[in-house]
Amino acid sequence: MIRWIANICFIGSFLAFGLGTLGLFRFPDPYTRMHGVGMGDTLGVGLAGLGLFLLSPSWALRIKLVVILFLFWAINPTMSHLVAKAGLIHGVQPLKGTRLIKG
Amino acid sequence: MRKRSVVLFTLLLAFWLVISAEADLQHIAMGAILALVAVWFWQDLGPRLPHVLSARELLLLGHCLVSLAWFVIQSNIAVAKSLLFSSPPVGPVFVVMRPPIESHWGRVLLATCITITPGTVTVDIDPETGQFIVHALTEETAAGLFDWQIIHEISNLESWRQRRAGHAVASSGSYGVDSLGTLAGDHRSDSY
Repeated sequence: MIRWIANICFIGSFLAFGLGTLGLFRFPDPYTRMHGVGMGDTLGVGLAGLGLFLLSPSWALRIKLVVILFLFWAINPTMSHLVAKAGLIHGVQPLKGTRLIKG
Repeated sequence: MRKRSVVLFTLLLAFWLVISAEADLQHIAMGAILALVAVWFWQDLGPRLPHVLSARELLLLGHCLVSLAWFVIQSNIAVAKSLLFSSPPVGPVFVVMRPPIESHWGRVLLATCITITPGTVTVDIDPETGQFIVHALTEETAAGLFDWQIIHEISNLESWRQRRAGHAVASSGSYGVDSLGTLAGDHRSDSY
């Protein structure tokens, strides 16, 4: 039963990464492509981690997996922010027609 | 300050031991040396870090993270839908907003929450004014940012910490109905 759930997690992870990769091709500018890649980085990695967590033979490995997942989820948004900020500073133009909403 | 350094040292050493393959004397000694060096190197960062969390604050933070996990799943589905079924798949928007969060750690936490949610990326934060520049994939996602539940939760956590620290809570620190209306209703729209 657990193996089945783990396999479903792996398939979901594969789909999330696949859709993220599709986003790289379908989305038109660097800023929007980051949103597509974000799918793999959040749900894709999370589901792969959950699948591995379920299949792990020991709690030591499971704790390591959880720590690695949290580390990944802390580093990933930081790097996405840096890439976006560097793009804006260095004049990477967003898609024509991108709107600006001020709150 | 000293208590904070001890907690940071303990956390770093625990992280090292969890990630290490073994917990023998050599690994523990090496981890302790590295944790000491890291604590010493980042000592100037100390005043910007939050104090050690109380049990109630940990609960609030845990609730915030659980809510965030739910939003991440919802956003993944929304991005996948717009990727597969919308044509064109995007209507990108830059959002300039000023959420009522005053502390450095609160802003960093909010920026991380925004970026980890697919469909929104924090591009910049002005440390003086607390103004966020966020890139959103669609206008609907952008509109949802102004009244995002996570902003309320971080604001609550911040207010709780301020009360605990004995400071008076400034009225601007809470997310009142008036400020919500101002943020959500009085926005101007321009073309980039």
